[in-house]
Amino acid sequence: MNAFFRKRARPRLVGQGGDRLPGGPVSPGDRRQLPGPEERARPVAVGHARLRFMCLVLATLFAVVSWRLVDIMILAPETARGTANAAMARQMAEEPVRKRSDIVDRNGLVLATDLPTVNLFADTRGIPRPEIERAIAALPALFPELDPEKLRRDLYSQRAFVYIRHHLTPFEQKRVNDLGIPGLEFETAEKRVYPGGRALSHVVGTTNLDNRGSSGLENYFDRWLTTSDEPLVLSIDLRVQHITHRVLSESVKHFRAQGGSALVLDVATGEVMAMVSLPDFEPERNGSPADKERFNRATLGVYEMGSVFKVVNTAMALESGIPLGSYFDASAPLRIGGHSISDYKGKNRPLSIPEIMMYSSNIGSARMASRVGTTYQREFLRNLGLLEPVRIELPERGTPLVPNPWREISTLTVAFGHGLSITPLHLASAVSAVINGGVFIPPTLLKVQDRQAVQGTRVISERNSVIMRALMRLVVEAGSGKSAAVNGYYVGGKTGTADKQVGRGYARNSVLASFVAGFPMTAPRYVVLFTLDDPQPVQGTWGYRTAGWNAAPSTGRLIAEIAPLLGVAPSYFSPSGFFDESLIQEVGLKTLEPEGGPAR
Amino acid sequence: MSYAPTFAHTRQRRGDLSYRERFWQISWSLVLLVALTSAIGPIVLYSAAGGSWEPWADKQAIRLGVGLVLMLLIAATDIRFWLRTAYALYAITFVLLIVVEIKGSYGMGAQRWIDLGVLQFQPSEVMKVASILALARYYHGLTQEEIGRLIYLVPPLVLIAAPAALVMKQPDLGTALMLLAGGVIIMWLAGVRLWVFLLGALCVPPTAVFGWSMMHDYQKRRILTLFNPDNDPLGAGYHITQSKIALGSGGMFGKGYMNGTQSSLNFLPERQTDFIFPMMAEELGMMGALILLTLYVILILYGFVIAFRCRTAFSRLVAMGITSTFFLYVFINVAMVMGLIPVVGVPLPLISYGGTALLNLLLGFGLLQCVYVNRDVSLPKRGAFDM
Repeated sequence: MNAFFRKRARPRLVGQGGDRLPGGPVSPGDRRQLPGPEERARPVAVGHARLRFMCLVLATLFAVVSWRLVDIMILAPETARGTANAAMARQMAEEPVRKRSDIVDRNGLVLATDLPTVNLFADTRGIPRPEIERAIAALPALFPELDPEKLRRDLYSQRAFVYIRHHLTPFEQKRVNDLGIPGLEFETAEKRVYPGGRALSHVVGTTNLDNRGSSGLENYFDRWLTTSDEPLVLSIDLRVQHITHRVLSESVKHFRAQGGSALVLDVATGEVMAMVSLPDFEPERNGSPADKERFNRATLGVYEMGSVFKVVNTAMALESGIPLGSYFDASAPLRIGGHSISDYKGKNRPLSIPEIMMYSSNIGSARMASRVGTTYQREFLRNLGLLEPVRIELPERGTPLVPNPWREISTLTVAFGHGLSITPLHLASAVSAVINGGVFIPPTLLKVQDRQAVQGTRVISERNSVIMRALMRLVVEAGSGKSAAVNGYYVGGKTGTADKQVGRGYARNSVLASFVAGFPMTAPRYVVLFTLDDPQPVQGTWGYRTAGWNAAPSTGRLIAEIAPLLGVAPSYFSPSGFFDESLIQEVGLKTLEPEGGPAR
Repeated sequence: MSYAPTFAHTRQRRGDLSYRERFWQISWSLVLLVALTSAIGPIVLYSAAGGSWEPWADKQAIRLGVGLVLMLLIAATDIRFWLRTAYALYAITFVLLIVVEIKGSYGMGAQRWIDLGVLQFQPSEVMKVASILALARYYHGLTQEEIGRLIYLVPPLVLIAAPAALVMKQPDLGTALMLLAGGVIIMWLAGVRLWVFLLGALCVPPTAVFGWSMMHDYQKRRILTLFNPDNDPLGAGYHITQSKIALGSGGMFGKGYMNGTQSSLNFLPERQTDFIFPMMAEELGMMGALILLTLYVILILYGFVIAFRCRTAFSRLVAMGITSTFFLYVFINVAMVMGLIPVVGVPLPLISYGGTALLNLLLGFGLLQCVYVNRDVSLPKRGAFDM
């Protein structure tokens, strides 16, 4: 049948070394020719000796692995077993369930709290058969979601501990109790409830059936929450969070986007006031492995952010010593190593730095980066934290995809936000540093108690930070970000429409549209980053899917709603008190508040 | 009647069996064993998706079907074809690796894929087989005396180091290490002198220091957290900690198919690819895990038996190259999920979700079968490395 296990003729001896002939004949009647001297008997002998040695090594390694397996799975379960059988272990130790601390927003509103409940389990040893049948008939009537087949298997399993259902309401508990079936027992438990609902699903995160944190802050601060008596106070403002969630949801729906994210950051402290990622999920629905919804786009997803990155690039150019008045040739596409960098609606002439920002010139930005050089660029981006995993108190942290090697072409493409993939939070905190006076402060989800004590590292000079404010204002006043303007709040920003990467190339007609804004640009307090994944042209966008038509107006709507809540007073005066005359002229800002009186 | 088998056997030695005759020489017990082991893949993936064919089990099942057919087709080929084309295959794969490197460096950080429209594949995976063939052919053409000479060490070292360096740059540490280890094992089996390996071992510490300085921060962190995963259970050690919890919660007989909480509640990262073993072990227990390991051991034993039976260096080295690559997959993955070695990203062979690795492994088993089918064919040194 199988030639492998057929009887083989005894191997014959060959040569002086008593070497064995390799291989055996298939049939016993086979007469094989002995190999001649040139047929390399020695290598075969060496080969076989070494084969045996290999055999030994592999066997040893397998033994090590198997032993370790037995060790982890059986011998040392108390260290490794952890959460999974924790409920059972607790039951046996009669240990009270650990309670988790509440999680509250910056104003003390509850975002996550514990609710005492009971779990229904069965000790199936020795339940009489008719009682089991009765349970199989009665329980699905009480809990329609129960699978009768699984219930039958579980109840007949003769196991000492089988969960039937988690988190019963007192009413359900009474009805099960009224059945009077022996072996059905209750275990006290805590159920985590999230009054904030979907709006905070990615930030606060979730707990598992054993009430241990499984994602988000619940996971990151799991130990703290189970040992501390204090509530965990977040930087999040629930009101701002809800508005952000609503505006982003409406925007995603209206532009038929696949998803999106929105961030609101306090530029002075790095506090995250709101963080939303869509699609989101119901945090109290446990155990659904719908990965797409649980993915936090704001902190875990890395994207080529596109032209919004020009804010960082321009700040870098100014900081490296390039004067604001410099011109860069954008009259023809820039060719390098078989690639061509061109402009969207190019001007085909030399452009000044304000014009490069205003028209969002890729060529101009690339030329600026080229003049700055690769070394300076990397160092600058590193100082802004853009080359390392994002720093935030969540387990879901994205690691940037950094060009490797960093060739000249990378330097040029990074200038306009391609070739370097970062998380939206990376970008928001970098822009925050650019406009807050030039100090990089790592973002945080915890409330900063002492605003004066916040430490940061200087990345650009205060003067350059002021110039950047004026340039971002220019984009909203006269460039692609006009639709983000909000009367009285002096919004500045930058649009970005990045072609989405699909496989190794870029998708046609599929973009990541984003808008990064700061307000008020006279003395910035907050940064907003709004991204839409694959928005579609809809009525009113004239067939465009670029950020100026979707992300920018949405950001404007968001700012109009949250600015009063955040205590930013509208002002209707000329910005000349904040920007000196020469800067206003050089950048080309309007000296009079263009938007008139309060309206909108 | 009785002449027929003798007749066939003589032709077998000369290697002029027809394709159909060779086809029936295939070791069907090995085919069955491979099919049995790889069938576990879709079953576990079904559970990993929470009891759904989507998004992994269905695709994996289709790939498995295609792969098994491919394996049988390759199994019955003439081994001289592989001897003849070994260098060419290596060269083509190498060029593809370079193409990926060039495209990748422009696109983004790590780029390992080539898109053929219908399927995408990773040249680095194919390189594992191609380099085995090339090295086997090289050593097939050398006499024992030549193997001992220093100058003859240069080509194989280049054959091993060049693709490993390219893959390392991608950066894909796991695959690079597998290429290196696979190559060194072949050199060992080919009979390269012992002192070469001792010298090589002496060179490891300085190389490691150099490699460390070349490594990405995330790779360094992975190695550091290995030694104390609990130190940073939410950062890089998260994978290992969760994986160990899953293993520990499995116990002797497991929680039952589709009942793993660690995995179905999404704690276990990459549970469909690199971390499929703990997810399986949680559900099927230590017994299930040991049964799988036993299947692997039997597969590897088949490889050894076939290698022992080979008449020629080429066949033996190909058989052992494939067997040891397979072993490396098993060992690195299982040791990785148990925290014995750093998380380097090597899938569990035949089971993890992923097309290229599965097809590549089945292709490897096809070659192993091919070696077995052609076990008595004598291969000339002519046509191999002949100066």
